[in-house]
Amino acid sequence: MTNATAIGAPMKSITTKALVVVVIAAVFALAIALGGRVIAQQIVSGLMLGAIYLTVAVAFTLTIGVLNFLNFTIPSLFMLTGMIAWGLREKGLLGFAGGWAWLVALIAGVVVATAASLVVERFTFRYLKTRHGDATEHAIPLVSSLGFLLIFEHLVILTLGSESQRFSVPFKADIHLFGLVIGAPQLVSLGCALLVVAALTFVLKHTRMGRALRTIAENPEIASLLGVEVTRVVPVLFLLTGLLCGLAAALFTVNYGDVSPFMGDHVGSKAIAAMVLGGIGSIWGAILGGLVVGLTETLSIHFFGGDSVEMIIWGLLLIVIIVRPRGLFGAVAVGKGKL
Amino acid sequence: MLLEVENLDVRHGRTHAVKALSFGVGADEIVTVLGSNGAGKTSLLRALQGLTPTSGGRVVFAGEDITKLSPPQRLRRGLALVPEGRQIAISLTVHENLLMGVYCRDDGDIARDIKRIYDRFPNLGARRDMSASVLSGGEQQMLAIGRALLARPRLMMLDEPSLGLSPLLVERLFDLIVEIHRDGLAILLVEQNTQMALEIAGRGIVMELGRAALEGAAADLRDDERLAAAYLGDGHS
Ligand SMILES: Nc1ncnc2c1ncn2[C@@H]1O[C@H](COP(=O)(O)OP(=O)(O)OP(=O)(O)O)[C@@H](O)[C@H]1O
Ligand SMILES: [Mg+2]
Repeated sequence: MTNATAIGAPMKSITTKALVVVVIAAVFALAIALGGRVIAQQIVSGLMLGAIYLTVAVAFTLTIGVLNFLNFTIPSLFMLTGMIAWGLREKGLLGFAGGWAWLVALIAGVVVATAASLVVERFTFRYLKTRHGDATEHAIPLVSSLGFLLIFEHLVILTLGSESQRFSVPFKADIHLFGLVIGAPQLVSLGCALLVVAALTFVLKHTRMGRALRTIAENPEIASLLGVEVTRVVPVLFLLTGLLCGLAAALFTVNYGDVSPFMGDHVGSKAIAAMVLGGIGSIWGAILGGLVVGLTETLSIHFFGGDSVEMIIWGLLLIVIIVRPRGLFGAVAVGKGKL
Repeated sequence: MLLEVENLDVRHGRTHAVKALSFGVGADEIVTVLGSNGAGKTSLLRALQGLTPTSGGRVVFAGEDITKLSPPQRLRRGLALVPEGRQIAISLTVHENLLMGVYCRDDGDIARDIKRIYDRFPNLGARRDMSASVLSGGEQQMLAIGRALLARPRLMMLDEPSLGLSPLLVERLFDLIVEIHRDGLAILLVEQNTQMALEIAGRGIVMELGRAALEGAAADLRDDERLAAAYLGDGHS
C-alpha cells in the first residue's frame, strides 16, 4: 500500500489546501459584496450552524479514520444529550440547581452520551474483535452500531415521548457588530467547537496517545507489536466521540432551543456529508466541510426555500466527489491509515 | 534457556501451520529457523509474539509462562518481533516511528537511546522529519530494526529481514544482526537466505510442513544435504 495521509504525511499538498480555502472564502466574499448585509447575516448564521455540523463530522471522521468504522450511533449520542437534558429538567429532577438547571441538565446529557458511546464500544467493537479476529474488517460493527442507534432512539421515545420539545435558556444575548446580529451562544459555540477540534489535532500530532492512535489507524497489528494495547486505546476514541457529540448537541440545544428524539438524524446526515466533502479521515477537512454545509444550508433556505436544502447539499456533495473523489482535504488513497 | 517453546501448535482454520514444535533459544544465542515457503515460520514467530493464538503447547520466556499474554505484554517482558515485510508506519515520520519504539518505556534514557539509533543509522537522521514512506527498502529495514531495539528487548525475532534487499545491503544487514547480538541480545532469525543465516547462527532448525524436520549446530546443517532436500518442499524426505 502506498497511501499518503491527511495528517501524518508532510504537507505536500498544503498549497492545494490553501487554494481550496481561498476559493471558498472568495465565493462567500463575492456573495456578501453582491448581497450586502442580508447575505452577510445569512453567512454568519451559516457559520454558526456549521460549527455544530463540523463537531459531529469530526466525531465521524475520527472513528472512520482510526478504526475504518462508520459509527452510526453518533446521531443517537447527539440526540441523547438533548433529550436527557430536557427530560431531567421536565421531570423536575434538578430542583437543587436553580437558575443553572439548564446547564446542569446539559452537562448530565453530555455525560450520558459519553457513557452510551463507551457501551457501544464494549458491545460492538471489543466484543466482535475478540470473537471474530479483526473487527475492523467486518461490516458487523457498522450494522450493530445501527442497531444501537435504533435502540437508543426508541428507548428515548418510550420514556420521554416522540414529540419535539422546547428547551429554553434564561438568556438571549445578541451582539451587534457592523450592523449584524450575532447570537452570543452561537459565537461561543463556534469558538468552543474550533477550540476542541484544534486541541484534538494537537493531541493527534504531538502526543504519545496521538501517535498510538495514528499507528492503529494505519495498522493495528504494528501498534500492538510496538506495545500499544489496542483494546485499551480504542475506548479513548469512543470517549472522544461521545464528548464531541455531546458538546455539539449542547451547543445546538442552547442555540436553537429545540430537542426531539429525531434531532440527531438531521444533524448526523449533514455531518456525514460534511465529512465526505472535506475528505474522509481528515480533521481539518471535516471542519471545512462542516462550515461549507452550514453555509450552503442557510443560503439555500434564503434563496430557494427550505425544501431545496437537501437537494442542494447532496447535489454539491456529488459534484465534489465526481471532481475530487477524495474530498477537499482527503488523502490520496481511501483505505487504512487515513489519519 | 531464555525462550522455551514446548509442543507449540498453531492452526489457521483447517491449516495446521505449526505442529507440536519444541525448541529453545539461550540468552546468548543466535538461532535460525529455515524452511521453504509455507513451512510455518511466520506462523511460529507470530504465535511466539502473541499475534496469532496458539492452539496448544506453552511458551516460556525468562522462566515465566507467557502463552496467554498479549503482544504488548510480551514486548514489555523483553520479547520483540520485527515482522515480515518490515511494517513501518508510513503515515508517521521517521522520528515518530522511533518514538513509537519507546512507547512501552517510561525511563529517563529515551532521548539518549534515540540519539544512539541516529548515530548508528545516519540515513535515518537525515530523514528525521520526513514521512517514513520516503525511505528506501534498506532504510525501512534499518528503521524497523532500530525501532524494535528502542523497546530494549532481550530477544529479538526477525522474520525474513533480508527480503527484497540488494546483496550488498543483505551483507550489511547480517553484520548488523551480529552486532546487535554482541551487544547482548538473543536472536531468533527466520530466513530464506539459508547460507548466510547459518553463517551467523549458532544453531538452526529446519521446518517442514509445520514440524522441525532437522535441528542442530549451524555448522553441521550447512553441509547436510537434507537441508537442500527440505527446500524442494515435497515434505516426505
Ligand atoms: N492467516 C492465515 N489464514 C490461513 N492460513 C494461513 C494464514 N497464515 C498462514 N497460513 C497458512 O499456514 C501455512 C504456513 O504459513 P506461514 O506464513 O507460517 O509460512 P512461512 O514459512 O512463513 O512461509 P514464507 O516463507 O512464504 O513466508 C501456509 O500453508 C499458509 O497458507
Ligand atoms: Mg513467512
